[in-house]
Amino acid sequence: MAAAGTGIFFDGVTSARRPVLVELASDGVVVRDAEERDMLARWPYHELDHLAAPEGVLRLGRAGARTLARLEVRDPALATAIDDASVPVDRSGASERRSRAKVIAWSFAAMVSLVLGAVYGVPALADKIAPLVPLRAERWLGEAVDTQARKMLDKGDASRPFECGPVGAEADARAALVKLIGRLEAAAGLPIPLHVKVVRRSEANAVALPGGHIYVFQGLVERSENADELAGVIAHEIGHVAHRDGTRSILQAAGLSFLFGMLLGDFVGGSAVVIGARAVLQSSYSREVEAAADLFGVELMNRAGGDVRALGAILTRIAGANHPGMEILRDHPDTKARVAVINTVAGASPSPPQPLLEPAEWAALKRICTGR
Amino acid sequence: MNEATPFDTPAEAAPAPSANGARFAGNERAFWRLLIRGAVLLLVTLGIYRFWLATDVRRFLWSNTEIAGDGLEYIGTARELLLGFLIAIALLVPINVAFFLAAFSRGVIGQISGLLALAALGLLGQFAVYRARRYRLTRTVYRGIRFHQTGSAWRYAVCAIFWWAMIALTLGLAYPFAQASLERLKLRNTYYGDLQGHFVGSGTRLFFRGVLLWFAVMGPFAFGLLVAIDRVDWTALGEAGRRGGDDIMSRIEAAGVAPALVVAVLSIAWSVAAAAALYPAFQAIVLRWWISGLRFGELSVASTLRTRAVYAVYLRFMWIALFAGVVLAIALAITLALIGGLEVWLGKGKVTELLTTAILVGTYVIVALAYSTIYQATVKIRLWKAGFESIELTGLEALDRVNAAGAPGSAVGEGLADALNVGGI
Repeated sequence: MAAAGTGIFFDGVTSARRPVLVELASDGVVVRDAEERDMLARWPYHELDHLAAPEGVLRLGRAGARTLARLEVRDPALATAIDDASVPVDRSGASERRSRAKVIAWSFAAMVSLVLGAVYGVPALADKIAPLVPLRAERWLGEAVDTQARKMLDKGDASRPFECGPVGAEADARAALVKLIGRLEAAAGLPIPLHVKVVRRSEANAVALPGGHIYVFQGLVERSENADELAGVIAHEIGHVAHRDGTRSILQAAGLSFLFGMLLGDFVGGSAVVIGARAVLQSSYSREVEAAADLFGVELMNRAGGDVRALGAILTRIAGANHPGMEILRDHPDTKARVAVINTVAGASPSPPQPLLEPAEWAALKRICTGR
Repeated sequence: MNEATPFDTPAEAAPAPSANGARFAGNERAFWRLLIRGAVLLLVTLGIYRFWLATDVRRFLWSNTEIAGDGLEYIGTARELLLGFLIAIALLVPINVAFFLAAFSRGVIGQISGLLALAALGLLGQFAVYRARRYRLTRTVYRGIRFHQTGSAWRYAVCAIFWWAMIALTLGLAYPFAQASLERLKLRNTYYGDLQGHFVGSGTRLFFRGVLLWFAVMGPFAFGLLVAIDRVDWTALGEAGRRGGDDIMSRIEAAGVAPALVVAVLSIAWSVAAAAALYPAFQAIVLRWWISGLRFGELSVASTLRTRAVYAVYLRFMWIALFAGVVLAIALAITLALIGGLEVWLGKGKVTELLTTAILVGTYVIVALAYSTIYQATVKIRLWKAGFESIELTGLEALDRVNAAGAPGSAVGEGLADALNVGGI
């Protein structure tokens, strides 16, 4: 065991480079100036800090010291001797590897719990928080989303207003729509008033926004064969309003962007993981929400005295034979499954004696966007 | 004392340390190992490992760099980076929530909230860049004394945003002046102990060194743009776009787009190719100019970096990337076969789809990580080495009488830079 050797010492106060003699005393390393032999430092072995250095250099500091004093040893025998004498100095890297293994295990555990949080925690939390959002806040949110949704949906054909019905010639149609919505709304018993509008878009679809806003597309009115079919789809959308799904999906999206966008995935290629995981998760939340809205719609039609199976009929018609694309990315459940569930729930309930609207009223409503 | 004999595994024969230069003795094989292991761990922890990898990389680069015979040291820890990131998240979440709510409010605030958010986050990003630099400098130790940085990060952020706007407005011509101005600001506030830095690189000089490159890249681009503007009937094209419909393509053709489009696409493709081919030259010019502008008190730095050397670095990267491309293509083919087999095995359904998606996303991530690793292990390390080894120092006596000064800065800037995706090294 080499009891002494040479090294380079920096005192941490000035940048002076001092050749030194290093002695291994019983309790620590003693550093003396190579020429004048005065003691520059005496570092106990257990306070030695093993620092990053190029190969062939042992760089030591003193743990907890206020200055950055450094001792560099290039003499292999002396370095080995210091390594043997001091517990914190570990040139084999074994203690470093142990602490790194701990880091890896905990990072992995954190990743797993964050992913589980995204899959189970975020929707559960959104379910709990959505009913607690005050209605005033939801109405305010609804108005803001409404403005933006209009901007997106309205293709801006300047010759006609985006909304069908407010013009005088469409007044009959408007009255029929008001009656239909009135019956559904009365049966639903919602905490907030509905704002249902028929708008000029050709798709057979309808959307519900937070705050009770429902947009029924012209295409849906045209492809409905009777008032109960249209009412069935609107009842489904009212289900979204009753369940406060708009607010809930905003909460879910916010939770997901926080978990995936901020905490995880900030590395090259990580954005693909984030985008993929968000798409799959959001679609899966959405499928659950749609199934719940279907059930609500069926029950609402029952209470309003409409034909419960009409929703199933129109869904089958507009969905066509089969969806292309991947099941896990679909935001609605499979149509066949939906219709089957609707019909099971509808079960024994008899067909109502008369439809929700008189034939004349239905005929007027069909013309709501034609302007005649 | 025997300086040349390492006591662990024998390293590659390193060049003798030169008294007035710098050298980099990092073992590339070790760096590859570090990066590959890091990439695998990034993948399985979905990025949480990045704080440890960044620290390992910096520690490797710093501690293997020797200036005038003494080594640099990086004393930052991953724990600090993680903490800085968590603090940054705590700061950013309320800000993001505020902008989220503002986007939904009616009136002027809702209208301009997007622009406002962009400006605020841009400013915050540059603030973070400056603060992150402070963190790295105060974790850089040389001869037992740390570097540090003073000055207001907000002031830097405002200056940087101004200059980046000027660069965009002048299509890049303002770049040399922006660099010179920002580097002057940064170096004026950079200290080694109590030795203040400054920057003497001239924007005008950099401008004249690089302006030919600018013409080679932007010239054809501008030509293509002018041809397109001159030949295309824009009112007709705008009308076609506005009316849309099935015959949109015929209307677009009627606007005289086709021939002009060919010219424009060809010249823009030429621009892109020229930019790729000239990028190493550009990087060499800027790096040489930057190093030669560095001053610390009486100490001055000059660089003899060869453009040829930078090209060699990129050529080597291209060869390795090409080889990796072949390997990854074979791996991709096997993966696709696996997916096909999966469908036969499990039938169509949710499980198959989930597995397929996971495999495809995983493949993409692996490819991206592989190229990032190759880039770092070939370009980053070699440019670091070439940059340092091109250094010639004069006035080295200035380094002998420096007193310690400055306190360690926090890692919040690094965390912000990470969260805002403006991170540096």
